Amino acid sequence: MKQQILHLDLDTFFVSCERLIDSRLQKRPLLVGGTGDRGVVAACSYETRRFGVHSGMAMKLARRLCPEAVVIRGNASVYTKYSSQVTDIIKEKVPVFEKASVDEFYADLTGMDKFFGTYKYASELRSTIIRETGLPISFGLSANKIVSKVATGEAKPNNQLRIDEGFEKSFLAPLSIKKIPSVGDKTYQILRNLGIDKVSVVQQMPLEMMISVLGQNGKTIWMRANGLDNPPLIPFYDRKSLSTERTFGKDTIDMLRLKTTIFAMAESLAYSLRSGDRLAGCISIKIRYSDFNTYTKQVKIPYTSADHVIIPKVMELFDKLYERRLLIRLVGVKLSDLVTGNYQINMFDDTEEMLSLYNAMDTIRNRYGELSIQKAAAMGAKTIGRFSNPFNGEPPILLAHRNQ
Amino acid sequence: MKFIVSSTYLLKQLQVLGGVINSSNTLPILDNFLFELNQSKLTVSASDLETTMSSTLEVESNSEGSVAIPARLLLDTLKTFPEQPLTFVIEDNNTVEISSNHGKYALAYASGKEFPKAVVLEDPSKTVVLGDVLATAISKTIFAAGNDDLRPVMSGVFFQFSTEGLTFVATDAHKLVKYTREDIKASQVAEFIMPKKPLNLLKGILAGSEEDVTIEYNDSNAKFIFENSTLICRLIDGKYPNYEAVIPKENPNKLVIDRTQFSNSVRRVSIFSNKTTHQIRLKIAGAELNISAEDIDYSNKAEERLTCDYQGDDMQIGFNSRFLTEMLNNLNSDEVQLEMSMPNRAGILTPIDGLDDGEQITMLVMPVMLNS
Repeated sequence: MKQQILHLDLDTFFVSCERLIDSRLQKRPLLVGGTGDRGVVAACSYETRRFGVHSGMAMKLARRLCPEAVVIRGNASVYTKYSSQVTDIIKEKVPVFEKASVDEFYADLTGMDKFFGTYKYASELRSTIIRETGLPISFGLSANKIVSKVATGEAKPNNQLRIDEGFEKSFLAPLSIKKIPSVGDKTYQILRNLGIDKVSVVQQMPLEMMISVLGQNGKTIWMRANGLDNPPLIPFYDRKSLSTERTFGKDTIDMLRLKTTIFAMAESLAYSLRSGDRLAGCISIKIRYSDFNTYTKQVKIPYTSADHVIIPKVMELFDKLYERRLLIRLVGVKLSDLVTGNYQINMFDDTEEMLSLYNAMDTIRNRYGELSIQKAAAMGAKTIGRFSNPFNGEPPILLAHRNQ
Repeated sequence: MKFIVSSTYLLKQLQVLGGVINSSNTLPILDNFLFELNQSKLTVSASDLETTMSSTLEVESNSEGSVAIPARLLLDTLKTFPEQPLTFVIEDNNTVEISSNHGKYALAYASGKEFPKAVVLEDPSKTVVLGDVLATAISKTIFAAGNDDLRPVMSGVFFQFSTEGLTFVATDAHKLVKYTREDIKASQVAEFIMPKKPLNLLKGILAGSEEDVTIEYNDSNAKFIFENSTLICRLIDGKYPNYEAVIPKENPNKLVIDRTQFSNSVRRVSIFSNKTTHQIRLKIAGAELNISAEDIDYSNKAEERLTCDYQGDDMQIGFNSRFLTEMLNNLNSDEVQLEMSMPNRAGILTPIDGLDDGEQITMLVMPVMLNS
């Protein structure tokens, strides 16, 4: 039996969420993203697209192209909330699904066609989501993830499309090669230079030629162009590391501010670690200077999740790494080599008072939110906190390139 | 210089001394045994600069001299001989000639003068302990010593001699063992930290020995004299952590349980725990001990119930199963007692029976923080 893979994608997700919150934004041009000098468009409504705005564009430029647009900074926690509403509905209705990002889902409907067919089932799922959440959503249904994703892209906005078995190739043929997932700007340029513009050309090319031009990547693109690539669904994303980083609105060497930011990052990551019952065995820190040179430094530590081990180590690494006396553009902290477990108490370094204090602080955080209690040294750093359990099997939430 | 010695007698001594020699040395001379001959007394030494060990053998000879002979080569050769007399002749052309019943073998040697001299202890204090007692004290404690290069004091065993008794302590900050002998007393108070390597050698040599061992020590070195051998080693420099302060005084929750049964259950359950952290959970309620472990990554899970004798409040506490197993296996009593107070305070493991008079063992294991 052929597989039936459904791809669901929430249309202009951040924009739709903002419109749900504030109905005045309906039908008006809307931009969501960073509002600072280095802000980037994370999402834009269809109204703005005809002015040439697209996501990933510098906010400054987008504003110039579409001065009428309302610009909203965006709030990840709100989007996470709406996203989980949608996730809950899908989780209830389908046997296996993959949450590929905040606004994208794959579901395996194979074998669900016993009574009315998978297309009808998917259509009902879509209308349920629209009815219950008020968010517009599109889907594509076909035999594999790639074709379904392309189909969703063609169906948008707020529509659906099924590609019947055997028609994958003819569906893809007239499309631009840019529509194939994994063909980015670079690959597109290479292919255009070869005179390839439509998928049909790739379909007619021999596989060997694609491999000789693009290597392994060429093989993938060829398979995808022919509707043959069939990657499996990933129902659970295992977090290999926890990280956070911040680009400053203006490059800085304000050491106090830098250290406060890093301190807050370390504290926040250590809390995430503990709430997921994990220990980290490796700490790394990242600095990007104003000349875009990026440096990282990492250190192995005995498995731990304690603030008083992680934070001083992070600060020490930062002091070691920051040596160029140059303005800093970005700093980041990462905890990796994660294992499940709890903190092993040290009989000489840990006092009972300290452990009880940490326990109490975590209890307060669990009840009133992560930022309800902080060490004084981390205060003043702009919101660093994450908003959900990073170990729930969902991919990390990215406010798509809010900064460039 | 010439001597005749029994092959197996020599091999036996050399194998013990060989334990001192590191597999790779910065100083090439340390790859050798030092042979010092004085009439019928042959003293063989091996050293790694930190530790130097010497044994005296009776040989047939009437000459004197000192040479350094490659250890590996000599040991490998001796291992192959059946019992027989061997004649060693030191030639002037820097070779030793060994003659056996089978033939002749020549090895290059270095001058004995190049071999580093062992330290001479200046005005040492002295204590005498039975060999087996020392070996027991070492084997009961050494497993708990740490490996952290950053905290060298914890990589050794702490010897505390006083007029009340002898105490041996080892810890790696997660587990601690304190072994006390109140039946043996030192003439004066002394404290020093012995590194692991010489202790492991002593443990091997002295196990079961009914002979007395004389321990001489000062601030920087210790010397162990027994039978026909001496071992001199440098002590670990530094202040040992105040371990007494971390042993909880009030422990209202007391669990008494069969040691073998407990150890087997912990071992079995820990197979299902996380492969890196080995954490298990003990839940105690009434007279029931519930041991459980879970490895979320692989969906492995185990739970066992044991009956025990328990006095105190119901509680839950997490431990690294490795530590528990190591400790339980190191004891040889039938029953053990685990005293606890809080889930974030140390558990104290003590044997109920099987101890000699004046012998005391206290084992401390730190729990892991459990999110309730």
